[in-house]
Order: sequence, then C-alpha cells, then structure tokens
Amino acid sequence: MKKLMLASVGFVLLASGSALAHDSTGCGLGSMAWRGQSGMLPQLLAVTTNGLFGSQTFGISTGTSGCDPNGRITGGTQKMFLTFLENNMEQFAFDASRGEGETLVAVAGILNVPVEKVATVSKEHFNEIFSSQNVEVVAVAEEVLTLLNLQVA
Amino acid sequence: MILLIRKLLCLFFCLILVSFQTKADSLSEKIQQTAFSQEWLALVHYQPTWYQTYKSSIDSDNFFLAPDGKTNPKHELEATLRLFQSNDTTKQCLFPARYLFLKQHNFIQNNFVNCPDYQSFQKDLNPNGITFIFTDAYMNNPASLFGHTLMRTDAPKEKTQLMAYGMNYGAWVDEKTAGALYALYGLTGGYYGGFTVKPYYSVINMYNNIENRDIWEYQLQLTPDEQAFYVAHLWEVGQTQTRYYFFTKNCSYLLMEVLDAVRPSLKLAQSFPLQTVPLDTVKAVAGKEGLLQSENYRPSRQRRITYRYEQMSPTEKEALKDLLFHDDFSKTNALSAPQKAAVLDTAYEYVQYQWIKQDILLDDYRAKSFQILKERRKMTLLSTEEEIKGVSPLLSHDSMRIQGAFGTHQGKTYAEVKWRPAYHALTDSAIGLSPESEIQFLETVFRYYTQKKRLYLQEITLLKISSFSPYSLLFKPLSYQIETGIKREKNFKTKTEKLMYSLSGGSGLTFSLTSHMSIYGLVNSVFQYGGKAMPHHFGVGIGVSSGILYHRQNWQTQIEGKYWLSDNEMIRKTSIKGEISYHLARNWAIGTSYEGQKRVGGYENDFRIFLNRYF
Repeated sequence: MKKLMLASVGFVLLASGSALAHDSTGCGLGSMAWRGQSGMLPQLLAVTTNGLFGSQTFGISTGTSGCDPNGRITGGTQKMFLTFLENNMEQFAFDASRGEGETLVAVAGILNVPVEKVATVSKEHFNEIFSSQNVEVVAVAEEVLTLLNLQVA
Repeated sequence: MILLIRKLLCLFFCLILVSFQTKADSLSEKIQQTAFSQEWLALVHYQPTWYQTYKSSIDSDNFFLAPDGKTNPKHELEATLRLFQSNDTTKQCLFPARYLFLKQHNFIQNNFVNCPDYQSFQKDLNPNGITFIFTDAYMNNPASLFGHTLMRTDAPKEKTQLMAYGMNYGAWVDEKTAGALYALYGLTGGYYGGFTVKPYYSVINMYNNIENRDIWEYQLQLTPDEQAFYVAHLWEVGQTQTRYYFFTKNCSYLLMEVLDAVRPSLKLAQSFPLQTVPLDTVKAVAGKEGLLQSENYRPSRQRRITYRYEQMSPTEKEALKDLLFHDDFSKTNALSAPQKAAVLDTAYEYVQYQWIKQDILLDDYRAKSFQILKERRKMTLLSTEEEIKGVSPLLSHDSMRIQGAFGTHQGKTYAEVKWRPAYHALTDSAIGLSPESEIQFLETVFRYYTQKKRLYLQEITLLKISSFSPYSLLFKPLSYQIETGIKREKNFKTKTEKLMYSLSGGSGLTFSLTSHMSIYGLVNSVFQYGGKAMPHHFGVGIGVSSGILYHRQNWQTQIEGKYWLSDNEMIRKTSIKGEISYHLARNWAIGTSYEGQKRVGGYENDFRIFLNRYF
C-alpha cells in the first residue's frame, strides 16, 4: 500500500524533475557531434592551421561554448566563421549538399561573398569540404576558405 | 546720475538673484514633474503599489543610484542627474539609457562618455529591427509548459538572422537542485532571473532542433531611435538581477517592462498584475496599435519531418523506412528526382532527431548522415524548401476562462460557475494551440443547488496536465496525465459529501485513428485523502483509463472511461465521462458534458450544459 503511494508521488516528482534537464539560457549546445574529436578549438587550431589563418593571436579560451562570456560572437572574420561552423556544422553540411539554405546565406554574410558563390562551391566541392564523416570543423573552414580563394583575418 | 546707476545696478543684481532663484525653482519643479512621468517610471521599472507609491521590479542594488532609489522615483532621478554632472565615468557607462533620457529631457547637454565595453556591445548588436519571439509549449519540461518568449535584435542584412542576437530573460537555475525544490524555488522567488544574450542560431538550435518547439517571430515597428534606446536599456538591465517567480515575474513579464521602457505609451506591464502567460504577452504586443509589423513561422524539426512525411506517397514512405531502419538506399533510386530529394532530406533531419534523442550511437549517426548527404549532393540543385504554414497562436483562445453551467446531479438541478486562470483544456478550441495537450491551473468550481438553495465549493483543480501525442513510426512519445486537487465526493454508506484531496498520474500511449481523431490508453495510480468521510481516512489505487479525442474545425470532443482498483471503496470505481464543445468565436464556446460513476453502494450521474467565455 505504501509503495503504491510512493509510486504515485514519485511519478509527479519525476515529471517535475525533468525540468532540470534543460537550461535554455546561456550559450553552447551539447548536441554538436561534428564539433571535432578533441573538442577544444585552440588545440585544433594549433594542429591544423599551418599558418593559413595567419596570426595565431586569437586564443579562444571559452572552449566549446561557441561564444564569448558575454554571449556575443566576437573577433575577426575567421573567428566568426569558425564559431558559426562549430555551432551549425550539421545544418551547414545539409545545406551544402543541397546547395540552398539559411546557413549558406549566413556564411556568405560572414565572409562577404555572394550567396550564389558559396552555394555553388559548397555543393560542387562537397566531397572535398567534408572529406570524411569524422571531419573536424577547422578542416571544413579551411577548405571552404581555400575554395573561395579567401584570406581572412 | 550716480544714484540712477546705483539703482539700475541694484535692479540688475536683484534680477540676477531672482533669475537664479527661479532657475533653481524651475529645476526642482521639472524634476518633480519628470520623476513621475511615464517615461522615467518605465525606465527604472517602477510599478505602482497598492498604497499609492512606487516600487521598482529590479532587485539589484547596483541598478539604483539613490539609497532609496528602489521606491523613490524622484530621489533616483536627482541622483541620476548628479551622476551625469559628476566625473564618475565608470558608473556613467552603466546607464546609457538614462543618459539618453536626461538628454532628451534637456537636463544635460554633454556627450556620452567613452565606454569601450558598452560600445562593443552596441556594435555587436547593431539592430536593424527588434523582433519579439514566441516558442510554443515543450511538454517534456514542466517549466516550459506555457511556452516561452524572448527578443531578437535583428541582423543588419536581409535573411541572415542566424547571426542576429537573441535576448533571453530567465532564472539562474542551480543544476544540482532536485525536482520538487526546483519547482518550489521557481514558484516562490527562490531563484534570481537575469538577462542573457546569445546568437540567434543558438536559439534556433535549442528550441527548433533540440526541444522540437515551433518558433514564431513577431517583428516590431520600432524607430531607429527606439531600437538604439532598447540596446542602451538592455545594457542597463543586463547587469541586474531580479527575483524570478514562475507565474508572475517570469521570462515574459520582464520583457513587457523592457518594451515599456522603450516606448512608455505601450503600458504593457500593467496588463499582467497577477499572472503572465507567455502567449498572453504575445497577444498583448500584437494588440498594441502600430507595434506589430509582421509574423514569421519557423516550424520545429519534428513538425518539418511530420509535414514532409505526410506529403509522401506510399512508395516514398517505403523508401524512407528502408533507408532509416535497414540502411538500404535501393528504393530511393526508383523514385523521381524531387521524390528522392524529399526522402533524403527527411531522412537526414530524422537521423539528427535520433541523435539528439540519443536513440543512435555517435558513429552510426555520423556514418548514416554522411551517407545521406553524399547521395544528396549528387543530385542537381533542387529546392525542397517549401513553406510550412502554421496556425498563428494569435488566433488561439485567451488563457483565462469562465464557464457558466446548468446541470443535474442525481436529478437535482444546479447552476455552476467555473473559473480557470490558465491555460488550455483538451475540449477548448485547438486553433493556434496543440490539440494533443492540456494544462489546467487552479480551476475553481462553485455549485449552487437550486432546490436546497445552497452554495458549495465543488472542486479546485490545482493542476492538471495531459499530453496525448500520437505514437507513430517516426515519433514514439509517451502519453501522460497528472492531476491534483480537491473535489466533493459522496460516501454512499454514510451518505455524507465532503471535499477530498487526490493526486493521480499515469502514462501510456496515444494512436491517431484519422487526422482528426486519436485514441489513448493509460495505466494510472492515485492517492486520495478524505478524512473522516473516507474509510481509513485515505487510500491508494491503481487503474487504467482509455479515451477518444476528436478535433475538427470548431468541434472538440473527449470521451474517457476509467477503472480503479483499490481496497478502499471510495477509490474502487468505474467511471465514464464525455464532453463536446463548439467554438462560436475565438473567445466563446458552448458545450455539454456527462459524467457517470459507479462505486460500492451506489452510482452518480451528472449532466451539464455550459457556456465558456475566455479573456
């Protein structure tokens, strides 16, 4: 008898407890599977940039949150581009394969390149940009910039 | 001559003195007037109290410059004026909106000081419009049952709103706090609320793609000056904290005060003295003349998948099933190009959904989504983006309801009044709302028996939540129902009727029969306390229930049967109830209901007709 009672009370508690599971404030999402194996952007940069990104001065210290502690995307074009890709990798890959979509417009805006160009290049060179299923965000960013023939700060 | 000059000089000095005097007088008069102007009251978030004074909603001390600034608009204005006449530039940097206010009202003429932090904030946000955002209910999280609102500073270029910024007001929740305590804190102001800014793509990812909630965007008609003032004010309140109350001073309420600060003539906050239901604030904003510019809909991932799936032919559906559940792409090759594109796109979104639900492992997820994209990129450019039309939540009924009813209970006639502050029942119109769920909060029922000429408190439903999302091939949600409250129940043996408390809950599944009809079944448990009117004072039971839901245009119907097993004869019973209602207009409905139950020693029949008014 008591057990039943506990069970019914427990049910309600359980339901209200799941409220904790999500905190909809703050930035960064836990779902970004293509973020890269090691997770920390600075490490990736150190390994893979090879000077393409020019100066290594942008030591991003916020880890994987995707934005600075104030919640804003700061820094130069390359940091904005990386931050954006890091947080929208799945959707960008999807839009690139189709050759249309909102993330292509956003990338075009960040890099200041016509949308059509970003769309065409991403679709045509999809296999180069996304070389494998374990591709890392920096490699993707690097490839896109190379294909668009861009040097950004 | 000299005398004359002396006299003139005297007059001259007297005049100067007088003018100094009047200048001082006029300044204090101006402060007196301005301190109680709508603009100043809104800017410092003052709300009138019942004893004819003011109190600011903001709780942080650092938001006030005068020691009694929280309750004294005049002292606060004087202190603000002193600040901007002083050299304290650090503090001045915290109040750019107050600076603009003083300048607009000709209190000061100097330029705003150089504040690098604020200037970079301004530069980052750089609004090209302000949009009010509504995300609909998230049934898996009680804190999100009523939906959520936030604001967006629109990005400068067309169509790049992903790079815009969302401004959210929410409680700073300690993740370690357990469920019940969390709810208690949330209700009683145990948490502080604050403002956060984050990129809009994060907002979309969170609500559209992770929590599967629809987003509605309402662009506001604010002038460039008002937009700049909004950013300035956001900077001010962004440094503050305010006690968070789930039902009153919640995520939506503070946004009303912020909008009032930007355009004081709106007076939005005063419409929400008791409860702030997010959807009601959206309607309040939309209802202000000259404020709403346009409405835009961003369907959730689940909605996008469902929509596409419903459009598919049987062969497309087969190809999608093979692809998703057997990793077999072969059937997609037999499809026409647009069909194949639709199947691949739906499959990709579904794999994403599975990953977030953690239904598949990371490696499988990567492999599968990558395979889909590689197929997709081989196809020539082919647009599958089509506009999914949603029913605007602005068309939904308002959340408070009063119901007047006449009925008979065991042949005795009665009149009844039901009052429900929030929010939606399964038998209310589902236009603009989910037809699958309900949240009833604090529904209170008074019943007057005409023969006995006696008034009774018949029932208070503290809370009732039901979620009957249909189980399908792609989505497999659990249905559930929780209800707690007090209700008059009759003990047939002692022939007494008493208010008894009960708490019940259950879970099960729902299936769609047609696009308008679904059937559900639940397994339930209950605890009931009836004091002396009940054997052993209290009891528990387990049971099953099943029902049918039908929604079509203005008609909605629910029929439900319940069976309870218990060693307590007050709980052991079989009951059936049905309710049918017809919506006459957005905020009017009529209907009829029947409820019958059989228990040890007797049965009860209750039949009613009712009229609903929502406001």
